[in-house]
Parts: sequence; C-alpha cells; structure tokens
Amino acid sequence: MSKDADIIVIGGGIIGCSVTYQLSKLGKKVLQIEREDITRGAAGATDGVVGYHTKKPGAQMDLAVQSISMFEHLSEELGEDVEYGFHCGGMQPVEDQLQWDILSGIVEEQRKSGVDIRMISIEEAREIEPMLAPDLKGALYSPTGGKVNPIKLTIAFSNAAKKLGATVMTETEVTDLIMEGTAVKGVKTTKGDFYADAVVNSCGAWAANIGKMAGLNIPIQPRKGQLIVTEPIGPFMDVTLQCARYNVIKFRPEAVDDPAALKIGNSLSIEQTETGGLIIGGTREFVGYDRENSLEAIETILRRAVRFFPALKDICFIRAFAGLRPYTPDGLPLIGKVNAREGFYIAAGHEGDGIALSPITGKLLAEQIVYGKESYSLESFDPNRFPLESA
Amino acid sequence: MDDIIICRCQEVTRQEILDAIAAGATTVDGVKRRTRAGMGLCQGKTCERLVAKIIAEQTGRPMAEILPPKSRIPVRPVKIGIIGGKDDE
Ligand SMILES: Cc1cc2nc3c(=O)[nH]c(=O)nc-3n(C[C@H](O)[C@H](O)[C@H](O)COP(=O)(O)OP(=O)(O)OC[C@H]3O[C@@H](n4cnc5c(N)ncnc54)[C@H](O)[C@@H]3O)c2cc1C
Repeated sequence: MSKDADIIVIGGGIIGCSVTYQLSKLGKKVLQIEREDITRGAAGATDGVVGYHTKKPGAQMDLAVQSISMFEHLSEELGEDVEYGFHCGGMQPVEDQLQWDILSGIVEEQRKSGVDIRMISIEEAREIEPMLAPDLKGALYSPTGGKVNPIKLTIAFSNAAKKLGATVMTETEVTDLIMEGTAVKGVKTTKGDFYADAVVNSCGAWAANIGKMAGLNIPIQPRKGQLIVTEPIGPFMDVTLQCARYNVIKFRPEAVDDPAALKIGNSLSIEQTETGGLIIGGTREFVGYDRENSLEAIETILRRAVRFFPALKDICFIRAFAGLRPYTPDGLPLIGKVNAREGFYIAAGHEGDGIALSPITGKLLAEQIVYGKESYSLESFDPNRFPLESA
Repeated sequence: MDDIIICRCQEVTRQEILDAIAAGATTVDGVKRRTRAGMGLCQGKTCERLVAKIIAEQTGRPMAEILPPKSRIPVRPVKIGIIGGKDDE
C-alpha cells in the first residue's frame, strides 16, 4: 500500500496542532485528522495559564521551564499574535494557617527547579492586586509566568503547519487503526483509509479510545472542568490567580477537608483576558464525557470568586462552558513511542497543563520521531511506564 | 459590502467571516472560535443567524448542521452576586 503521508497525527487539539507544526518544520509530510474541528476539544474550553506556580514539583516543573522559554518567541515564529503575556505573574491567596503551611511546603519543592516562587503577606499581595479581599492570610506569588490565548495559539500552530505543507482534515473521525501484526500502519476513518510510517495519538481525554484500537490500555480519563466568562470590564487584575485550594487539590487532595469541595474538585481560578472579560473556574470532576454545566458547580465557583474579589458581585457573567482535561494516574503526560507497537506514538494526558506544555511537547516528540532522540529527555513521560498491554 | 459589521459586540466584519470559512470553519461555532463573532455581550443572539446564512451561502450546507445545537447557561447576563453572593446575605 502506498503511503499518504510520512506521519498521521490524530486529534486537532493544542497538542496535536503543536506536534503537526513541529513535524512539518522538520520536513515531514503530515496528515492531521480531527473528528470535529480544530480547538473543539479542551483547548477551546480552558484558561490560558502558562505559569510555573501551578506545576507539580519535579519533572513536570522542569518540563514547564523548557516550555515557557519557548513561549517568548512563539508569536514571532508562528506569524500570529497569540496574546502571550510573560510578566503578568501568578498568585494563590491563602485563607488560613493550614493552607499557608501546605503551600509553603509545595513552594520549597517547586523552587528546586530554579523558579522564583515565594510566599508573601496579604499586604504585599494587595499592593500587586488591590481588588483582593483584605481578610485573607497571604499568598503564594510567582512574579514571572504568564498567560496566553489558547484558541489563538492552537489556530496559529495549525496555520503555521499548513503553510509548511501539512494537510489537515476536519470532520473526519478515526474509527480504527490499520495493523500489521503489532505494527501500526495507518488509520481507518469516516472518509477512507490512510497509510503512513508512523501514527501519533494526540486525542487528549479521548486517547484511551484510540489506544483500544491498538489493543492497548492507556490510563487516561476525562476530568471535567467548568468555567464561566464575564462581560468585558476595565483593567481589573494582572496576575493569573488561583485560590490555595487549587494546588492543594492538584497535589495534596488528601489534605482537603470539605467533602463537597472535593467531590467537584472546586477551586477558584481567575484571569482577565486581553478583551477584558474574566474567565473564572473551575472544577475537577470525573463524570465521563459529559460536558454540561451544572448550577451546583457554577454557584460554588461564583461564591469562591466573590470571597476573593468582593467587587465581582456587581459584574455580569455571560456564558458558562466546560472542557475535558486528559487525566493520568501520576499527573504526568504520556509523550513518546509505544515499545510494543511499532510506528505508534502518544502525546496526551497533560491534564491541567496542556496549554503551557504544548510547545515543548510538539518539539520533543517531533525530534524523537524524526531523529530517534530528543534534545531534552522525555524519560519521565515515557508512555511505557504504564502497563499498556495489560487487559 | 464585505466590510459591513456582522457581529456588533466584537466588531467582526463579513470579510473576516469569509476568511474564517476559507480557513476551514464550517459551523457557527467554528467561525466563533476563529473570529470571536458571537463571543460578546449578547452571545450571538443578534449575529448567529447572519453568520449561519453566510456559511450556508458559501458551503451549501443545511442550516441544521451549521447552527449550534443549544445555548449554554446563562440565557441572559446575570450578576455574579445573585448566584454567588455570601451565605449570610
Ligand atoms: C477548565 C480547564 C482549565 C484549564 N486550564 C489550563 C491552564 O490554565 N493552563 C494550561 O496549560 N492548561 C489548562 N487546561 C488543560 C488544557 O486545556 C489541556 O491539557 C489541553 O487543552 C489538552 O489538549 P489536547 O490537544 O491533548 O486535547 P484536546 O484539545 O481535547 O484535543 C483532542 C482532540 O482529539 C479529537 N478526537 C478525539 N477522538 C478522535 C477520533 N477518534 N478521531 C479524530 N479526532 C479525535 C477531539 O475531537 C479533540 O479535538 C485546562 C483545562 C480545562 C478543562
């Protein structure tokens, strides 16, 4: 069978688009296949935090440092403004001593990657963000680290890839993989069969479905996050802000004592976009592929927002939406070759960090596929750390 | 004619919508993600039909495939304090 491309990339989220761009940049002929449309997945229903302070200490933080350094020149490189602001900083206000102690511990770990993250008093925090409620205890603060417009970035990756010769098929669903023994040779889709030397699974929260087609058990599950958007308002805040519970729920869920909060994984996240609207989240829920909004979650989110920024009570919200994060059991993505299936690669499972990690994921995976070795080790993210062949 | 504004909240012109369709958008949602048309204060209540008509003209698709399946909450802008006010209020 003659091949249709060097490499087929399944999925048109921010990860698939970054991988497609980077492979095209290395001179490969890429066919990208997306079931609905570019940005219809999590990239279209997300915040755009590109910060250090929300990253798990260790390998994830080190990878984030690599990725964030790439953001600086992305608009220039891709030829489109992706609304990246590096110096907005990040903050996580704490409500009590317990949260202060837990965050201080996490900060110690995070600082080992050489990033500037520290605990500050509420007075200092309010000098940076004057709208913050005065009765808070203090805050974790990271002066660098920023935000980006995730939809613009995804589309910019895609446009840049197309300019380099990539073919992008939308409204095309991959229904099966074409196998020869244990080797993956191509894909069956709703618009025909396509063959290539290698196939990349970048289907985010849906990556396990593609895994099944190869007889693999990929441990990725959808974890829903609900968000609301406000009407545009004047300059309100600079930092991307999460309440302390955000890092606690992400890294130390056992320390959360409120069962209701734990059930929907509620923690406040809030940022102002370039067009003036605030994006306020969020939840972390295991409810399958459901993408509906629930009044319970919206109410909890808005209550937390008013707790931290009392002035918000007079602002209108205009829309609610939800996205599915690709959750993995150890909180790290799967990036790289699957040893047991020749020609099959995974780039998925970035849970709540896929926007920030998208540039480096595309770059390193493309290097691994094309050169057989990446310029920064992906060892901690090796998909083969999980028993993929277990039934 | 192509510089007329279709989405008044976000000031998106007919030309920008045509460009988005040329870049691959085939639904109201696809145009929205590429141009911000329908993302403003009225959430597309005014422009949605106009955007859908332009897509139908350009692609020959039926309206049912172009329009979003349903609207999300809230149906109209709602003050945050009404839902998220403090417990003791
Ligand atoms: C509420 C919320 C807040 C977040 N905040 C942040 C943040 O501040 N910073 C940050 O870095 N990250 C954040 N994230 C995480 C980030 O959004 C995700 O990690 C990232 O978008 C995942 O991208 P992806 O490309 O892997 O998946 P997706 O964008 O979901 O893309 C997967 C694509 O695969 C397609 N697909 C699935 N099955 C098939 C098939 N059979 N055939 C063809 N195509 C298929 C889907 O249609 C989809 O388009 C947040 C996420 C949520 C939900």
